[in-house]
Amino acid sequence: MDEATRVYVKGASKRFGHGAAAVHALADVTLTIEGGSFFTLLGPSGCGKTTLLRLLAGFETPTGGRILLGDQDVTALPPNRRPINTVFQSYALFPHLSVAQNVGFGLKMQGIARAKREARVDQMLALVRMQDFAGRPVAQLSGGQQQRVALARALAPEPRVLLLDEPLSALDLKLRKEMQIELKRLQRETGITFVFVTHDQEEALTMSDRIAVMSAGRVQQIGTPREIYAHPANRFVAGFIGESNFLPVTVADGAARIGDHRISLAAPADPGPATLAIRPEDILLEPGAALSAEVTDTVYLGNAVQIMARMEDGTRIALRQPATIDLPESGQRIGLRLPAEAVQILEAE
Amino acid sequence: MSAGQGQANRTSWSLAAPALALLLIGSIGPLLIVLVYSFMTPGDYSGVQRPFTTQAWEQVFLTRDIFDDTLGWADAHMTIFWRSVKLSVLTAVITFLLGLPTAWFIATRPPDRRALWLFLITIPFWTNLLIRTIAINEIIRNEGLLNQMLLKLGVIGVPLQILYTDTAVLIGMAYVYLPMMVLPMYAAIDRFDTRLLEAAYDLFANRWQALWHVVLPVIRPGILAGSILVFVPSLGAYVTPRVLGGGKNMMIGNFIELQFGQGQNWPLGAALAVLLLIAVGLALTVYVRVLGGAGRADG
Repeated sequence: MDEATRVYVKGASKRFGHGAAAVHALADVTLTIEGGSFFTLLGPSGCGKTTLLRLLAGFETPTGGRILLGDQDVTALPPNRRPINTVFQSYALFPHLSVAQNVGFGLKMQGIARAKREARVDQMLALVRMQDFAGRPVAQLSGGQQQRVALARALAPEPRVLLLDEPLSALDLKLRKEMQIELKRLQRETGITFVFVTHDQEEALTMSDRIAVMSAGRVQQIGTPREIYAHPANRFVAGFIGESNFLPVTVADGAARIGDHRISLAAPADPGPATLAIRPEDILLEPGAALSAEVTDTVYLGNAVQIMARMEDGTRIALRQPATIDLPESGQRIGLRLPAEAVQILEAE
Repeated sequence: MSAGQGQANRTSWSLAAPALALLLIGSIGPLLIVLVYSFMTPGDYSGVQRPFTTQAWEQVFLTRDIFDDTLGWADAHMTIFWRSVKLSVLTAVITFLLGLPTAWFIATRPPDRRALWLFLITIPFWTNLLIRTIAINEIIRNEGLLNQMLLKLGVIGVPLQILYTDTAVLIGMAYVYLPMMVLPMYAAIDRFDTRLLEAAYDLFANRWQALWHVVLPVIRPGILAGSILVFVPSLGAYVTPRVLGGGKNMMIGNFIELQFGQGQNWPLGAALAVLLLIAVGLALTVYVRVLGGAGRADG
């Protein structure tokens, strides 16, 4: 991949305020964003993902660490001198300008001649399918249309990196799904590095090449959507991405023990107390199995059923099964099997 | 319309009626009187008398030479009129340049602090305008505070003659009308979404470009309101040019007053007042048309 569009964040930290009142929004974050990839910063609100995005855009300067674009150190560059553009959560379209003038704003500020600018604006409006709206005031546009204009405006100056700050959060579900596909298409067609901030794990999983899961100002795990879902690095990631059951176990002789029951492990783990994580859909029902639980509740989900149960030691466990199975009654005992390849051993709490 | 709405309409009309009546009597009445007086003959000592004539209106534009009785343009009137317009425009420009950063400063304070700053801006209104203008006189006159300070510091050798010049009038009017500019601009900047500024910087605008291409166009309604609130009363200013401009640097307000006082020519004063009203009306119409629609066409 092109080195010039690769982003390096090296030990970046950001502290707001001083002394006891200081807030560490970002603590020593190091990561590399491959050029031309769709990279997502995922985490709950207050995890530092937006702060990191603002450091990349240049709206904030880090209190420690550096940010590089290829071999160029951009840490101290103001936003108007970085070849990086942003799609804002609120779109921040200029209300006094038309759609075409909004899209051409960055080009105009760069001093690009009118003829070339207009050609580029037309091209951008075609890319986001807004050609018919060129002369409209932006106030007359719907949320989805404003979103497209904001995208075209940020893409028009051909940035090396495009930053997207929760751009879909204001749209309704159907439009959001459409824009997810649209964004992915734009990223492929332009080949620009997209850095996408979201708190929506489903959005992150469907769109990203790589995801950095963040919490409390730190990166918890970086990986492909598959890696992060199948092999969460810690309990936070396992709980934030999809649903997980967390069972207290003791690891010994390459197996995890829940009471008297032995669960074999696919990967080696350190002996001692640990937490076993397993997705609800990975737990199998096995009549007569030694490991059993008492059903407390069942929920019909349409394409699946969720069974809530209590194990012998009182630990609650959730299972997801195809909707075609015979639903167990509340109070019924069910046998469980935890397949070795679906089990993840995490640090004990 | 339902009966309830009709009822509500009648109620709000009757609530507004006293104020509307006051405005109607207070503005339309005197205006009509002034208009009628401008077509009458000066009274023997003051006031007006019949017959009706356009003599006063002729006097506004033309003057009869006292020696050879020839008609010429009334240059003195034009000079005074032009000075009034010039000083009023300059006052609006100066208060805009001073008011913009001030309004921006107030609008960017923490919300619980803004009321205090706005309150401080309005403090000068607590004192009578005449007193404040005399105080300015005390500062800028040759033996005044400013000149004494500059002399002591050795910046100047002889006192600066500021008093009784256009500069003095300008200083006085800028001081008096600055709050009129700050308040509406503050209201506009307060509504300004600062994320637009980030968007501008993100799209390669430097500070000046962001100001010119984003901030000023977006807060235009505030600038429009502020400059009108400064320009219109400046044009009719009376106290400030009288105290700071002296007898020679008259503005149109002083000249009109002169006709009703020493000049004993009420019809001329009335004609000048009507002319001023028409001029202000025309100027504002053009101004709002031009500035209100600007910025849409530039690509």
